[in-house]
Amino acid sequence: MIEFINVTKHYPGRRHVLRELNLQLGKGEMALLTGPSGAGKSTLLKLLTRLEAVSHGTLRVAGVDLATLRRRHIPAYRRRVGVVFQDHKLLMDRTVYANVALTLQVAGMSARQLDHRVRAALDKVGLGEHWREFPETLSGGEQQRVGIARAIVHTPEILLADEPTGNLDPELSSEILDMFRDFYRHGTTVLVATHDQGQVDRMGVRTLHLAHGQLQEKA
Amino acid sequence: MSLHIRLQALGNARDTLLRQPIATALTIIALAVVFALPVGLFTALSNLQQLLASWHNQAQISLYLHDDASPQAVAQLRRQLQQSPGVVAVRFVDKNRALADFQRYAGMTAAIQTLGENPLPASLIVELNPLAQSPSSLEAQVQQWSHEPIVRSAQSDLKWVARLQAIVALGTRAVYILAILLALGAVLVMGNTIRLHIEQRRDEIEISSLVGATKSFIRRPFLYQGLIQGILAGFLAWLIVAIAFAILQGPVNHLASLYGTSFPLHALTVGEGFLLVLISAALGWLGSLVAVGRHLNNTVS
Repeated sequence: MIEFINVTKHYPGRRHVLRELNLQLGKGEMALLTGPSGAGKSTLLKLLTRLEAVSHGTLRVAGVDLATLRRRHIPAYRRRVGVVFQDHKLLMDRTVYANVALTLQVAGMSARQLDHRVRAALDKVGLGEHWREFPETLSGGEQQRVGIARAIVHTPEILLADEPTGNLDPELSSEILDMFRDFYRHGTTVLVATHDQGQVDRMGVRTLHLAHGQLQEKA
Repeated sequence: MSLHIRLQALGNARDTLLRQPIATALTIIALAVVFALPVGLFTALSNLQQLLASWHNQAQISLYLHDDASPQAVAQLRRQLQQSPGVVAVRFVDKNRALADFQRYAGMTAAIQTLGENPLPASLIVELNPLAQSPSSLEAQVQQWSHEPIVRSAQSDLKWVARLQAIVALGTRAVYILAILLALGAVLVMGNTIRLHIEQRRDEIEISSLVGATKSFIRRPFLYQGLIQGILAGFLAWLIVAIAFAILQGPVNHLASLYGTSFPLHALTVGEGFLLVLISAALGWLGSLVAVGRHLNNTVS
C-alpha cells in the first residue's frame, strides 16, 4: 500500500532530511513512526500527503506514484487518504458537523448524501451528541476526535497521523491511539508519527524509528 | 459539475458576506459610486446629444436656384435632398416669398421697390441634424449639392456645427477615459476585498486543500462573492443615477422654461439599467478572478 524505494528528501541549501529511505507498509497494516524531534517524521508524512515532493527515489501509495503525480491529480489522491494533525486544524467558526462534512463536500457530495456518513463518523469517535457545537467549546481530546472523524468520514484507504496525541494527557492519548488501532483492525492502513515511547510500548504494533534520515525497524 | 456544488459555493459566498455586513455594505457602496459616476455622465451626455439633435432648425443650408429652374427639376432635387443622410426637412422658398421675407426682416422696402423687378432667387432651405455627420462629410455634401445644375450657389455656416461636434466628441472621450479608469478602480477594489477575504480564510483554504479540494472548489466561493457584490453594486448604482436625475429634473425644468421650452431628462432605461448590472457583475467577477489567481497559489499547497 505504501512503498518508499530509495527516497531522498532535501531542501535547497540544507542537509538531507531523508536519505535513501526504504519502507514497505502493506494493505491493512499499522505502524508507529518514532524518532526525535527534527528527525524527519513530519517530512515523511508530508511526502505521503503530497504537501512535499520527493527529491529522488520512488514513492508509491495505493498504486499512485507520488514522485511523478501531476499537480492537478493531487486533490483526487488526497481524497483517498485521511490525515490527522497534532494541532487538529479545525475551523473554529464552523460547527463540529460542518468540520467533518467538509471532507465529503470537497468530494462533491450533497448535503443529503453526506448526512448519515457524518453522523456515523461522529458516533464512531463518541461525539454524536456534540454535532451542533463549535470546536472551541470542546476539550483538546474532543477536538482531536473531531479531527479524526474528519479524517475517516470518507473511509480512506490510508490513515496518516502526525503526533495526534502531542497535546493530550496519557489517558486521552491511549484512547486516541486505540481508536487508530480499531481502524487498522477494520482494514485501513495506518501510519502514526509519535514520540510518546510509553504509548509505543503499550500498542504492540510495528514500530519504525527514524533517525539521521534513515529508518530502522524496531522489534 | 453538479448544481449542488455550485449552490453550496453560492451559499458559502453568501454566508461569508453576511458574516461581515458592514464591510460588505461598504464595498458595495464604494463600487456603486464608482459605477454611478461614469454611468451618470454617459446618461447626461446622451441627454445633451438629444437636446442638440433637436436644434436642427439652427443648422440649415440655403441652396439658391437659377431663375430658369423648372418646377419639376426643383421637385426632383427636393426629393433627392430629403433622402440624404442627416436631413430633417427641406423647405422651398419661391422668389416672391424670399422678397416678402427680405422686406419684413431687413426693412428695406423702399430700396427694393426702386429695383423694379425682384432680384432675389428662389431657394431650397435644408434643415440638418447637426450631429448626424462629421463636419467634413457635411462640407462634401454641401459641395455636391452646390454643383447641381439648377443650383446657383449654396450658403452655409458649418463652423458652429464643427465646434459643437468637437465639444461633444471631447465630452464623450473624457467620459470614456473616466469610465475605463473607474472600471479599473472597481476591479482593484474588488480584488483587494477578495485578497483580504483570502487572508481571513487562509485556514479554511489550507484545510480544504489538505482534504482534497480542487483549486476550482476553493476558488468558486470567492468568485461568487465578487459576482454577488458586483450585482448588488450595479443595482445600487442604477438607483443612485435614477435619484440624481430625479433631483436634477426640477432645476432643468426651470432652466428650460426660461428659454420657453421644456426638456425632460431621460435616466437609464430598463435595458440600460440591466446592462449596467451585467457590466458591474462582470467587473466584480473579474476583480475576484484577478485576486484569486494572484493570491490563492500562495495559499493552496
